[in-house]
Amino acid sequence: MTLEQAATRDLAIPPSQIAETGWGWGQVARWLVVVGIIVGVLLPFIPLAVWSFSHRWYFPALIPTQWSMRAWHYVFSPGSQVPKALGYSTVIALVVTLLSILIGIPAGRAMGLHRFRGKTLVEFLILAPTIVPTIAVAMGIHVAFIKYGLADTLLGVILVHLIPVTPYMVMIMSSVFANYDPEYEEQARTLGANPVRTFIYVTFPAILPGIVVGGLFSFIISWSQYVLTLLIGGGRVITLPLLLFSFAGSGDNPITAALSIVFVAPAVIFLIVTSRYLTGENAAIGGFGKI
Amino acid sequence: MTRKLFALLGLLIIVPLVLGACGPTPTPTEAPKTEAPTEAPTEAATEAPATEQPTEAAPAAAEEMAPEGATPPPGYEGKTWADIVAEAEGQTVNWYMWGGSDTINAWVTGYVADNLKERYGVNLNMVPVSDATEFVNKVLGEKQAGKDTDGSVDIMWINGENFRTMRQADLLYGPWSLFLPNTVYVNWEDASVSNDFGFPVEGYESPYGKAQVVMIYDSAKVPEPPTTIDALIEWIKANPGKFTYPAPPDFTGSVFVRHICYWATGGYEQFLGEFDQELFDEKMPACWEALNDIEPYLWREGQTYPENHTRLQDLFANGEVYFDVSYGPANASNMIKQGKYPETTRTFVFDTGTIANTHYVAIAYNSPHKAGAMVLANFLLSPEAQLSKAHPDVWGDLPAIDPALLPADWQQKFNELPRGVATLPSDVLAAHRLPELQSPWLIAIEKGWEENVLQK
Repeated sequence: MTLEQAATRDLAIPPSQIAETGWGWGQVARWLVVVGIIVGVLLPFIPLAVWSFSHRWYFPALIPTQWSMRAWHYVFSPGSQVPKALGYSTVIALVVTLLSILIGIPAGRAMGLHRFRGKTLVEFLILAPTIVPTIAVAMGIHVAFIKYGLADTLLGVILVHLIPVTPYMVMIMSSVFANYDPEYEEQARTLGANPVRTFIYVTFPAILPGIVVGGLFSFIISWSQYVLTLLIGGGRVITLPLLLFSFAGSGDNPITAALSIVFVAPAVIFLIVTSRYLTGENAAIGGFGKI
Repeated sequence: MTRKLFALLGLLIIVPLVLGACGPTPTPTEAPKTEAPTEAPTEAATEAPATEQPTEAAPAAAEEMAPEGATPPPGYEGKTWADIVAEAEGQTVNWYMWGGSDTINAWVTGYVADNLKERYGVNLNMVPVSDATEFVNKVLGEKQAGKDTDGSVDIMWINGENFRTMRQADLLYGPWSLFLPNTVYVNWEDASVSNDFGFPVEGYESPYGKAQVVMIYDSAKVPEPPTTIDALIEWIKANPGKFTYPAPPDFTGSVFVRHICYWATGGYEQFLGEFDQELFDEKMPACWEALNDIEPYLWREGQTYPENHTRLQDLFANGEVYFDVSYGPANASNMIKQGKYPETTRTFVFDTGTIANTHYVAIAYNSPHKAGAMVLANFLLSPEAQLSKAHPDVWGDLPAIDPALLPADWQQKFNELPRGVATLPSDVLAAHRLPELQSPWLIAIEKGWEENVLQK
């Protein structure tokens, strides 16, 4: 049995069986859902794209009566701070994702594979950041961060982004490990592999899809943080959502639309790159919440 | 063995993190709205006292000197302006400001930053915020955390209630603004400059620009705009659903309500002093009555109001209402230029005047770059910067300095400024200025509006 087979064994319907059902009603329904999702996701971007090139667009005109490159010109001008913000957003989201993976693997393993005293409490604490309002927590952290010199720094923002990100990562890795059979590791060890080799050749490939899915969540959650970045970054660490909110609040629709497109694009690219892991045909994503 | 190790490692990392997340929760300080103002009874620009006028049109940075007899700011005792300029060189100034306008942002990060770098070697880092309360809370948070030096905010674009709050909480550095060489161009005799929202400036902030309320209308739809409050009320009743104003405490909605209150209660003069509850209770019912009187004729029969000025601008741009109110006299021209408002948009002021105010820059008490911040404030006051800012293609903001105090050639340049197609001439604006009230009055009026007009 290969690793992949091993990993799929818990799925209720093996992928092979789905393929065999052919073009039944189920298949049609499935495609309808796919098309529906694509339309639902892409449709809202069409007005955004139109807005970003508009100059004059009043009710009840269906399309702008005059067009302009003003918004895009501004977005790419050095004064707009967009290139800088794009850099900050990317670095923060990538580092947060990496750190959350480093936390999520051991934590998820502990939660998914082991029973121990106080496990329910630990589960609760892990979920706590998703229950407690972020702003309330952030005010307290801000005061502490000022004292430690972490306020207004990139490191501080990265650390604070880990708060909303970690629960998702740990949850996903827990469900991955809940469906994972550690006996393969023992087999590898019996055959003489040391712990490092065991991890690289056995554990890691088996949990990789989970890491990718969790990483995607982490990236997108960090990418779209506003309140935490504003408070801890203090306006010094400028990310895209900060610029976006400035303009959304001032009612400049063309620039808001152009910034929104710049804001969404990297997340979509990240999603496409990792989408093959999201098909549901991969083993490790057995189910959420099953810790 | 490995499993236990992993489990332990996982817990070790997770627990402190989660505990951190559940940390203490201090109450965020309630901070006031943006924007506000002050203006004294109309004072024609021409009758300003002629102070010593520099012979050079644009004095070079090296020749600039503090006004004679001015006391150096705290921390610079016995120093000259040249010392401050020398200290500023190489500093990076963090300027926290509202960042919702591409034209203003471009002016600051372009013209201002380039000139500051070139002339003084000072780097400018503009930090855009969506509301002034963000930096008020930030400085307050730093004070609470004991970060009394090396704060993150150097200079702020501020006025009104936020200035009052910061001043009263000792969050501002000063007095410093009277030491700036270019402060001689400021008409400090003008009560609307020396008082911010009725609160004395006393050298704790430096003027940056001026604002005055104008009424915006589309001349294609309203050929003869009503230029008195009586006529406006008549127009509203004759054209149901075509007028509204943002709900206070939005600052634009708030100032519109004050115009009605000035009119309905027999004039603003009686409210100019400290807040007086008795006077308020006696006079204001007339104002609520006037506002309730027009309410059924407002947009959506007055059952709801636009939540902020941006929403009103949307309504005006889409032709749902025929009037907009703005604190910026050049705002309508800018909106035409950006394609948001029709070419036929124009502005007017009431015959009895409109409310005007000044906006400023202030330095945080814990700023590590006070010298650089003062150099920036001084540059913002320079005739060149004020002229550049006043140009309709750049920003169209009213100058904070009094052109009458400038050398003749500079006066000429200000006179020759092109005006936006919908912007009123500056003498018309200057002749129709009404003062702001102190912020306790404003807050009381905003609350009174909510209780007596919105919820009645």
